[in-house]
Amino acid sequence: MTRKPRTFAAGAGLVWRRQRVLWWIYAVNLVLGFFGTGGMVDRAGTVLNHSLAASRLVHGFDLSTIVGLLMRPDDPLTPGPSNLFFMILFVAFMLFTTGGVIASYFRDERLPSGPFFEACGYHFWRFVRLLVYFAIVLIPVGLVTQGAGLLYDRIDEQAISPFPAVWFFAAAAVVILFVLMCVRLWFDMAQVIAVADDERRMHKALRRAATLVRRNFGSLFWLYFRISLIGWLVFGITVQFWKNYMRPESLGGALFVSQFAIVFWLASRLWQRASEALWYRQHQSAVFEPAPETSPELVPADSVAAMR
Amino acid sequence: MRHLGWAAFLVGTLALGGTFGGGHASNTIQAQVQAPAPAATTAASPAAGSGHQPLSTRIVAYNIDAKLDAAKHTITASETLTYRNLTGQPQQTFPFHLYLNAFQPQSTFMTEVRLSGTRGNDPNSGWEPKHYGSIKVNKLEVEGVGDLTGKMEFIQPDDRNTNDRTVFQVTLPKPVAPGASVQFRIAFDDQLPEVVERTGYKRDFIMAGQWFPKVGVWWKNAWNCHQFHATTEFFADFGTFDVKLTLPQNEVTGASADLVSNINNPDGTKTLTYHSEDVHDFSWTASPSFTAVEDEWTGSAGTVKIHMLMSPGNISSAARYMTALKGSLRLFDEWYGPYPYDRITVVDPPHGGSDAGGMEYPTLITADTSWNMPKGLLVPEVVVEHEFGHQYWYGMVATNEFEEAWLDEGINSYTEAKVMDELYGKKTSVLNFPFAQMGNSDQQRLSYLSRPDTDPVTRFAWQFYGSNSYGGVTYGKTATLLLTLEKIIGEDTMRRALHTYFMRYRFTHPTGEDFLKTIEEVSGKNLRWYFDQAVYGTNILDYEILKAHSDRLNWYEKKSAFGDSSKDKDQVYRTSVSVHRKGDFVFPVDIEIKFTDGQTVLEHWDGRDRWIRYEYVRNAKIKSAEIDPQHQVLLDRDLFNNSYVEEEDPHAVHKLSHIWLFANEWLAQLLSWIT
Repeated sequence: MTRKPRTFAAGAGLVWRRQRVLWWIYAVNLVLGFFGTGGMVDRAGTVLNHSLAASRLVHGFDLSTIVGLLMRPDDPLTPGPSNLFFMILFVAFMLFTTGGVIASYFRDERLPSGPFFEACGYHFWRFVRLLVYFAIVLIPVGLVTQGAGLLYDRIDEQAISPFPAVWFFAAAAVVILFVLMCVRLWFDMAQVIAVADDERRMHKALRRAATLVRRNFGSLFWLYFRISLIGWLVFGITVQFWKNYMRPESLGGALFVSQFAIVFWLASRLWQRASEALWYRQHQSAVFEPAPETSPELVPADSVAAMR
Repeated sequence: MRHLGWAAFLVGTLALGGTFGGGHASNTIQAQVQAPAPAATTAASPAAGSGHQPLSTRIVAYNIDAKLDAAKHTITASETLTYRNLTGQPQQTFPFHLYLNAFQPQSTFMTEVRLSGTRGNDPNSGWEPKHYGSIKVNKLEVEGVGDLTGKMEFIQPDDRNTNDRTVFQVTLPKPVAPGASVQFRIAFDDQLPEVVERTGYKRDFIMAGQWFPKVGVWWKNAWNCHQFHATTEFFADFGTFDVKLTLPQNEVTGASADLVSNINNPDGTKTLTYHSEDVHDFSWTASPSFTAVEDEWTGSAGTVKIHMLMSPGNISSAARYMTALKGSLRLFDEWYGPYPYDRITVVDPPHGGSDAGGMEYPTLITADTSWNMPKGLLVPEVVVEHEFGHQYWYGMVATNEFEEAWLDEGINSYTEAKVMDELYGKKTSVLNFPFAQMGNSDQQRLSYLSRPDTDPVTRFAWQFYGSNSYGGVTYGKTATLLLTLEKIIGEDTMRRALHTYFMRYRFTHPTGEDFLKTIEEVSGKNLRWYFDQAVYGTNILDYEILKAHSDRLNWYEKKSAFGDSSKDKDQVYRTSVSVHRKGDFVFPVDIEIKFTDGQTVLEHWDGRDRWIRYEYVRNAKIKSAEIDPQHQVLLDRDLFNNSYVEEEDPHAVHKLSHIWLFANEWLAQLLSWIT
């Protein structure tokens, strides 16, 4: 019997093999980020490029200089509306490309640009509908979060020590994060089903995904959670290193380290997508495995005559 | 008093351990914890000052007997106030402060808070019944005269708001002769609010400040007894306090006085007797959850007992408080004068009770921290230093905080910058992380720049444009103008001036002019030109390099396309540097011009005209021009236009853009989680 590859490692391998997807998305993220920051760079440049005061930001990072910049009437550091626009544009881009990404991972083949964008467009409006469902599902989660906030305030108000509220906050955060991860996993699988089975009806995709997640919760959630954990850990360690150990004057090194954090963060999300697609493909082949071939039973000739 | 706007900097981390539920004073801190005071009579210390020469002219003697109802947060008390008439005139009418009545919705205080907020409250802060506070005089008798309760009359000398009951006056049938004394006996009830502004309760914690009727001050030939406003503090005469506090036995207490005796009563309460001399206020605190930390410090005037009361969850800040306090004691002793009291109490408010934090009373201060205060955020240190500094500027040099708030808050903010920079580093005395730093002097300057041109520092405290202007100008501008004054007279001279001011005016009520004249006297300079602009005016100081450029003298000759290095050395340039006075504050400035051949020229401009141009003809081009190269003129509104570098250096912008790019990318990816 052929041993099935473990989806956790296989998913990582899939992202690596199809890294064109990763670099493509990262490039868009980077370009939109540049567009979003361009205005600030220009405005800050007119103040800092010819001023000796800028050295307080280069050798160390003097916060009073930053605050001084923020207090200027020309607002060189304040993000303009274009900043938010480019962020929203990236979100729309991700929504658009999700279909193509899942298709690429599910088929585990290199999709040329044409078929890739075809898959993106084919599934786009389905995923828009899914996004609406997602927002609806988040409403009760939001209400629970608000309720937890009120309860936190009450505990903090009444407890002599600050720690009961701190522990409550930690516990509530864990629960709410768990719920959010479950919801995200559910919708991820719905997206995979929509692509893999060409399911047009999103409520049906959601129902099927809910059943799938419920029946295989342990393996699916563990798959999702592990990758999230790794993503957060590597991101956090990289940012800590950048913040605390790099020379304040460093430019190239700092840029490399910060962008590595961004790439890894993105890669971990794609790793989840790839692992989910792989998991579903393996699940599909297990569910729809053809019946084993058997030889027809030989019937004695006199029995056949007796039947006639 | 200290603005408590540090919450944005707090970083949440999980901590293991800590106490749950109510703690008692049996919590130990190494070997220095004070267990609850033992039963029966205990003479904790001899009456402070007994047999000592008075340090002040003691005009008032308060004798108060008070009982706390911890469950209802009420205090029932009787006060005997003996007032010595040293005004030189017969006095028949006496005004009193009733500060706790400010915590009523129609009071002047609350009306002003609704308009522009205050230190702990923005205009839209919630108001619930638990926030009500009051002080009610049930009976007022005068020795030898009788019951004058019916003669009490609420007055509103500042704004005629008849709903405001923070000042009353009483007129005696006959005047009190000069040199004679009058004794008032006042029975009153306090309802403490949940801590809103300095005073009140939070769960089982009580901070009782401004809780008793206080007589006004005869000053500048008139009674000075203002209403309590959103941005005012207090003003009172020196004297003695003998206070008996009866409260539950499980309360751990602190007060701005020496503990004389501690007697357990059969009904489960205890009566603490306190005594203090040469102070102008009495405050106290109590909580069964305090952990006491004891220490001492010895200075030029003797040993000072340090009594620190820590709230649950904050014990990790005790060492930080102690280090800052001892450092402040030492530097104030060395620089300005001796600390003459034998005690100092530091109160750490509980979580949620920060409105009681960052406050000063004679020999008692309230601090501020949180259970997860990062080491690199020096909030506990700054608050302790600032409130200790008030022992000098307000506690001993008892200026009128209503009318000249800059003399205590501003001078104190200046000495805060000096002490914090000395103890924790000039660039790291507020924030000290590997990735970000900030110094106290810079923080004072930024505070000033938040509202630089609406009010002079000399404005009466309640007449500022708003609480932001009051804070920015009273604290930040005063500190910054004194830091800038160091450039004119020198740091050492400034220190000597403050030392002279302290030694001359401690235990009195000096004015702003007393302070300014002292500086002029010690420096030997006429500084009116500076004071008129910086102290009495709202002039803005801003000098800029308008233009700095080098041009070839033989500009009309074409330059060789390939250059000729042998001729470059002989190339002569005309360099011109234009400096512009952008603001309306005239101040002499230095301008440092550097050339590419390594030469430096230092010019000095009186700054009076609107602009000046310097021209040089030499074999080098300009490299940079900088106004105030020593960075001493902190009053300058814009430090970015103070310099010009000929060769563009985008290093800082690249660094900022990398951070901004990272934030944009990550936030965009985070948002796309919804897809």
